[in-house]
Amino acid sequence: MTETLTNPVLTLLRLIPGVETLSDGMQVLLSGFLAGVILFAFIAVFALYAVYLERKVAGHVQDRLGPMEVGWHGLLQTIADAIKLLNKEDFAPKDVDTKLFTLAPFLVFMTALSVFVVFPYDSQVSIANLNIGIFYVIAISSIAVPAVIMAGWSSNNKWSLFGAMRSAAQIVSYEIPVGLSIICVIMVVGHMGMQEIVEFQGGGFWKWVIFRSFPFNFIAFFIFFLGSLAEVNRTPFDLPEAESELVAGFMTEYSGMRWAFFFLAEYGNMLAVGLVGAALFLGGWQPPFEFLSFVPGWLWFILKALVLIFVQIWLRWTLPRLRVDQLMYVCWKVLVPFAFVCIIGVGLWEVLT
Amino acid sequence: MGKDFVFLLFVAMTIGGAAIVAFAKRIIYNAFALMLSLFGLAGLYVFLSADFIAAVQVVVYVGGIMVLMLFGVLLTTKLTDVKLTTLKNQRIWAGITLGFFMIVLGAVIQRAPWIVTHEELVHDPQSATIGELLMTKYLLPFEIASVLLLAALIGALFIVRSEHK
Amino acid sequence: MGRYFRDIYISVFTVLKGMYVTMLHFFSKSVTVQYPKERLEIPKGSRNQLLNIIEDCIGCDQCVRACPVNCIYMETIKSFEGDELGETSTGRKKSLWIPSFTIDMAKCCFCGLCTYPCPTECLIMTDVYEYSKHDRNDLIFEFADLDPIKAAELREKDAIRKKEKEAAKLAKLKAKEAAAKAKAEKEAAEEGKTPEKKPEDNPDKKTDNSGEENS
Repeated sequence: MTETLTNPVLTLLRLIPGVETLSDGMQVLLSGFLAGVILFAFIAVFALYAVYLERKVAGHVQDRLGPMEVGWHGLLQTIADAIKLLNKEDFAPKDVDTKLFTLAPFLVFMTALSVFVVFPYDSQVSIANLNIGIFYVIAISSIAVPAVIMAGWSSNNKWSLFGAMRSAAQIVSYEIPVGLSIICVIMVVGHMGMQEIVEFQGGGFWKWVIFRSFPFNFIAFFIFFLGSLAEVNRTPFDLPEAESELVAGFMTEYSGMRWAFFFLAEYGNMLAVGLVGAALFLGGWQPPFEFLSFVPGWLWFILKALVLIFVQIWLRWTLPRLRVDQLMYVCWKVLVPFAFVCIIGVGLWEVLT
Repeated sequence: MGKDFVFLLFVAMTIGGAAIVAFAKRIIYNAFALMLSLFGLAGLYVFLSADFIAAVQVVVYVGGIMVLMLFGVLLTTKLTDVKLTTLKNQRIWAGITLGFFMIVLGAVIQRAPWIVTHEELVHDPQSATIGELLMTKYLLPFEIASVLLLAALIGALFIVRSEHK
Repeated sequence: MGRYFRDIYISVFTVLKGMYVTMLHFFSKSVTVQYPKERLEIPKGSRNQLLNIIEDCIGCDQCVRACPVNCIYMETIKSFEGDELGETSTGRKKSLWIPSFTIDMAKCCFCGLCTYPCPTECLIMTDVYEYSKHDRNDLIFEFADLDPIKAAELREKDAIRKKEKEAAKLAKLKAKEAAAKAKAEKEAAEEGKTPEKKPEDNPDKKTDNSGEENS
């Protein structure tokens, strides 16, 4: 079934003159490099405008205007900020563990980047349609936890270590409700590949997973959304980098480009959970109505993800931060039991119909 | 040559990580090197066409057990800077154990029916087969394992819970 | 158990309500302005930079005395005979030269107490509020418009006048003393009594240089 798939990376690779003469290994490496460059550009552009969106939404929610000066309505503001960051001195404190301190931001960014290869960007378009698709996403994103601990520990700073410990505890805990809510989807679809999950939801918005086996997957979507908020450290679950308590959490000692990598990873993760939510629950590239199918699929996919990201930002400027015990209460005593109920409900529904 | 390069990369990750675990002097480096080794192993599973097992390896070992070990290392702060040394009289025992282990491994490697060509690989989704086998042929071991885990969970809760409540 | 579900209901409800409120604000008009490009109107009677309309100033020194932080420095010289100083806009005759009228805005505390006693209302609070400078000395504003050469001339003349006055006073004092002496002698001669006259203290009634010489 993967034979009909268009792989944008391989398509690009074939455009390079004389690529057939290269050895197989070089081709593999080259395609990996290409995929990395494409995804990096994608995430970087997204991060620039996500920051802009974040600041604009924050401004308007607080009856301000947000960035207005650089470019039309401040559209180039974040580009100016990025150039400033690139020019900054790459500064490391004296007592850091240099090896791990240097390695950590790249590891964090790598996990954020490699999640993107499995997403179904359009019908028949994805970089790698693994048949364990969504499970791969969960697996890769779990590497971020040791990476964050690495950053926090090597900084040799109390705030960094506190932030890293909080982040690890939070991500490890919230992986469980997220995983359980994803199981609800897999039970409905019967497949773990992202492309297959999206194909399953074709033909109108009432066929989307969120409206299948009605109340249960609907609740599962909210569990997924809350859990994903916690996994990407967004308010109200932004304890790992709580500015008022921990300076900047595990990123405290980082500056310049290394800090920018953390930053990119954060916004990349934001986009990733938005895309996962859109693909699993909101039908991915499927249009909400059949007659709207003239709009390209990737646009639907990105739009749905952007709606979820907007809700994330909206929540950020609405809610205060949770306390650690409240965070754990929400996870273990509310989300996990509800997710179990959803699994049982979906299972019964699937068996009975 | 094509996939060999990536394969060798994963092999290097696994063995190099394991070597750092064995020889590094700081315990935190050992922990992170173990992570590298486990990740390399996951890559090797992919080459065995066992993608589901590879993902499970990453989730369970890198995302779960490694984090547990890191927490252990970080919470016992006095240990993080302790220089690890091995007593000399243990070397002989270690040598004997190593020799025995290598003989067993060598025997297994010699006798296992290895898949050597690309055509012999199974390309079917592994997850479906695994699920089916777990629910039919290996249901009893699966259930016993889950009961064991449940018992462990309840036991942990019992130990953690304060008695004056 | 009921409490558990009620807590969940309340939290979901309040989160949605909070989101509703933020959405309302999202679509409402911003209250901020793009400051350097557009400005809010300053309320009437607001206290900002001080301005002295030197044409109207009669040098009465009331503002200097009212200032709680001593940030106003004024030098006045009494007019000489034949000097035409003109009138203020309210028709009041000016009788003092003002060679320097300095306000140190870095010291000013914007209390406005100097503006109230001003009899000609020439010292006012303007609506200028952006006058930050790189050097603190640039915040010392000079309002006197007297030509420095003329001012120096006046000061010289004033010094001469003072000297003359001093001399005249001294002469007067001497004359007085001589008179007193003569009187005492006369009285002593007449009655043989000791004089009871107390020595006169120096009655300095001049008002010049009441403000210190500023640098």
